[in-house]
Amino acid sequence: MSYWKANVSAFVGAIILSFCWLLFSPTPRAFAIPAFARKYALRCSACHEAWPKLNNFGQVFKDNGYQLGNDRDAPIDQQPSYWPVSFRITPQWHRENNNRMAVDHTPGDAASGLTEANVTASGFDLSGLDLWTAGTLSKNISFLVLPSADASGNFHFEAAWVRFDNLLGSRWLNLKVGKHELDTPISEKRFLTLTASGGFFQLYHFTATSDINSFGGIGDNQLGVELMGHSRNSYTRYAVSLLSSNNGDVDLPTNQTYDFYANVNQAFEFHDLGLQRVGGYVYRGESPTFFLTSGGAPIPGTGRGNRPFYRAGAYGIWYIHKLDFSTLYMHGKDNVFLGTGTPANQPMALPPGAQAPTWNGGFVETHYTWSPQLTLVARYEAIRVSRQAFPIGTPLPNGVPLTPDFGNTDAAVLGYRWYPIMTSRAGLAWHQEFARVRIRGAAPLTGQDETTSSFLMGFDFAF
Amino acid sequence: MWTERSIEHEKASRARVGRLRPQAFRLPVLAILAAILPATLPSAVCFAQQTRIGNVTGSLKRGKELYRRYCVGCHGVLGNGQGENAPYLDPRPRDFTAGVFKCRSTDTGHIPTDMDLYETLGRGLHASAMPSWFPLTRQQRIDLIAYVKTFSPRFHEEKPEPVVPVPPEPPASPESLNRGLEIFKKMECAKCHGLSGRGDGPSASTLTDSKDRPIVPYDFTTGERFKCGQTNQDLYRIFMTGLDGTPMPSYLKDLKPDQAWDLVHYLRTLQMNYENSANNGAVKTSPARQPGRSIRNALRAVSGSK
Amino acid sequence: MKRSRLCVLTIAASILSNPPLHKGGTVSEEAGQTLVPVVRAEATGTLTGLVKLDGPAPKGKPINMAKEPICVKAHPTPPLTEEVVAGANGTLQNAIVYISEGVPNSTFDPPSDPVVIEQKGCQFHPHVVALQSNQKLQVVNSDPTSHNIHPLPSNNREWNRSQPPGLPPLEESFAREEIAIPVKCNIHAWMRCYIAVFKHPYFSVTGATGSFSLKNLPPGNYAIAAWHEKFGTLTQKVTIAAGETKTLDFVFKPRANMSE
Repeated sequence: MSYWKANVSAFVGAIILSFCWLLFSPTPRAFAIPAFARKYALRCSACHEAWPKLNNFGQVFKDNGYQLGNDRDAPIDQQPSYWPVSFRITPQWHRENNNRMAVDHTPGDAASGLTEANVTASGFDLSGLDLWTAGTLSKNISFLVLPSADASGNFHFEAAWVRFDNLLGSRWLNLKVGKHELDTPISEKRFLTLTASGGFFQLYHFTATSDINSFGGIGDNQLGVELMGHSRNSYTRYAVSLLSSNNGDVDLPTNQTYDFYANVNQAFEFHDLGLQRVGGYVYRGESPTFFLTSGGAPIPGTGRGNRPFYRAGAYGIWYIHKLDFSTLYMHGKDNVFLGTGTPANQPMALPPGAQAPTWNGGFVETHYTWSPQLTLVARYEAIRVSRQAFPIGTPLPNGVPLTPDFGNTDAAVLGYRWYPIMTSRAGLAWHQEFARVRIRGAAPLTGQDETTSSFLMGFDFAF
Repeated sequence: MWTERSIEHEKASRARVGRLRPQAFRLPVLAILAAILPATLPSAVCFAQQTRIGNVTGSLKRGKELYRRYCVGCHGVLGNGQGENAPYLDPRPRDFTAGVFKCRSTDTGHIPTDMDLYETLGRGLHASAMPSWFPLTRQQRIDLIAYVKTFSPRFHEEKPEPVVPVPPEPPASPESLNRGLEIFKKMECAKCHGLSGRGDGPSASTLTDSKDRPIVPYDFTTGERFKCGQTNQDLYRIFMTGLDGTPMPSYLKDLKPDQAWDLVHYLRTLQMNYENSANNGAVKTSPARQPGRSIRNALRAVSGSK
Repeated sequence: MKRSRLCVLTIAASILSNPPLHKGGTVSEEAGQTLVPVVRAEATGTLTGLVKLDGPAPKGKPINMAKEPICVKAHPTPPLTEEVVAGANGTLQNAIVYISEGVPNSTFDPPSDPVVIEQKGCQFHPHVVALQSNQKLQVVNSDPTSHNIHPLPSNNREWNRSQPPGLPPLEESFAREEIAIPVKCNIHAWMRCYIAVFKHPYFSVTGATGSFSLKNLPPGNYAIAAWHEKFGTLTQKVTIAAGETKTLDFVFKPRANMSE
């Protein structure tokens, strides 16, 4: 059965890729721009609850197009020492573990057969490097350019956009063009976890195993235009984005369709507890199921057979004085062709009983901001597949029958960040974090639960 | 839960009844307190020191934490305006220990009301490094006010009074503009602000603030926001109370309310670029910023008659 | 918790800063009640003397009043700066001699007469005034131009009032002792005077002859200080017996860098 063969290869590929992603991906880069601290003579803590996590003052500054509006925004007002570029890098020691990794029985001998092994690696390391410049080109024209290097020094354009602020004199109209972070409910670029296992929200990137959806997740920067607006104190905010369906990859679009994203939220004050925020968001996109080929090889930018998917959720950010909880719920659904990895031009190839996979997930992330210089972070995240793409009991490539909980993910992160010095010039954080992720049935051979864990300690600094 | 509108409402109702009602209300309470607890009478001093705006009371403990988070880089741990950024800023950060503030509703030489400080914090000070802290919650801003007041003993010892009353604004007319011009001349505003309001008067170059640092007078022709608010009421208050700590004196004893309003109307005509700049700002502010149709009509009548 | 502690502190501070009356031997019982010390004349002493400058006095420089034609017109020749005004024999005008230590613990009611500063010819007259706390200060504008009176105290309320010509005198007062408060007119940058505020009546400002006189001093040990805006403060100890009249001179030595 040709479909099964295709699905098997997709399945194995997905497993390997997801593992590589976990173990070797560069730490997601977060946004922290000490150039702004220098420009405005404000400490990190003015805009960041604990950098890079924004507080509402920082949110308003960002929503205003990196303008404070006190006649000190123009570059001409700056001291000669103002250097509008920031760097961020994280020298660290870390340890990564995977309890069921597929390895050759005899290392170096591919013929010796695969077996599962508990593999650990540790040592000193560097994160990638962010090279930031951001600010205003002119009044109400702001920009951000972020060439980012992975740990080996290869650069890519993580973000580059220009934004026309306060169109028609209204804060409700701001137009951003370029590669930008979606106005995510809870920013993955600004959170306080860095490790390979804990340095992203599983939920933002989750797709059912064997899924061929090319969308990387709403945490990834995307290419397109964004229209956003906000009230004076950003208590009310909205953002809608129109994006090329290419997951932000800087190249010919994978296909000719567009994705749509919208996020709306409202904050309110509750007694003296602090600012509470609730909101909802939806992402509706399309992904190709096959490509035009030349001699069997896919031609880039010729995605065909687009099939839809969506993510929708609601969230709340709750403050009880120094303790806060970020809570998020998300529902995801991929088209059956995406979920089963079936080219849409071969509808007969759909396995019998195949369905569009759906899943629900959520997380609670809590912070205790002891002071502007010390913050504790903990997160628990759970994803439950509510409908598998294949009928339950279908044998997986490794022979293990598909179970309803296959792919269910649980992740926990615990850490703290300490900012031993806090000035208006640069940021330095001592970061320690432990993260653990368990995926049901994901062990490549035995179909048992696969667990990865990361430990990191190091200095996160921006200057 | 409490909305910004309720603060506006609070302000409006206070403006209507003047300052009398809260005190009239407080006095019998104090009298009862004094009768019951004569030995603790000095605690009335502390009572007066409490920071309360609307139905929100400031917390010193939280205020201190917030101060360390947001303010300390410029105003310093001791509140003396000697934070790490102070040497690089012009104008310099406020020295809270002196208890002297520009933007007040009280007469010159007197401490500001809690509401004055609250509004300054939310407004920011234009053309300085002080941004608007409006993004903070009301509770946070009031906590900050409570803490900032602890830097100066004046807030223990003095009361924020007398408050300079701002009577209702009469409509502007060609006559009121002419009267305003006469007042502008008689008060010799041009000594610093210049005849056309450009801030280029003969004394402008010699001005220093109370810490002997050079300071420039406001240039009306830019139409920029005032440091202490945008409305005609704010402008009235600015020259009647003076901007303490700067060379701008109080004209409270020199001007009657009607004359002050005439001057307000005249000063608005100096802001030639006013309407352009209103659109030039990062964001549009309240319609109260606009000079008002009556002034524009009056101005048209004046320039037409010439 | 914090607030209640603050209250206790405030109470303590208020007690400390207002020590109980009637302690001083020269304060009569009746006086204690009205808070006015009544001192029998025959029991008091007097201190007189001169304030001098050792060496040549720096000469005043002509004030450039070009920014205000009205002020220029008021003077046939430009007036000289008043930082140092020395008489014949090196006597110093505009110095304040006062008791800095040893004043009986008491509260002294301010005299009912106001102290007057006149703005005339775009100068403050007199250049140095001294008054008691809560004593009225009257500021008169005799010029046909606007002035603004802007004291820059460190221990009192800083106020700043405009005074256009032809308006009645301003009345103000200072609550706390402070030696001495510089006063500016921001419109006319050259205008400057000093206001010294004392909580007791034992002070004297030297006139053209450089002489001072402190009268009605209760017998006791005192530190007497002489303050001058340019040369700082000198202090001497003195003991005054009942009915005694003592003479005490102060000699300021200008530091080398003060020749300018």
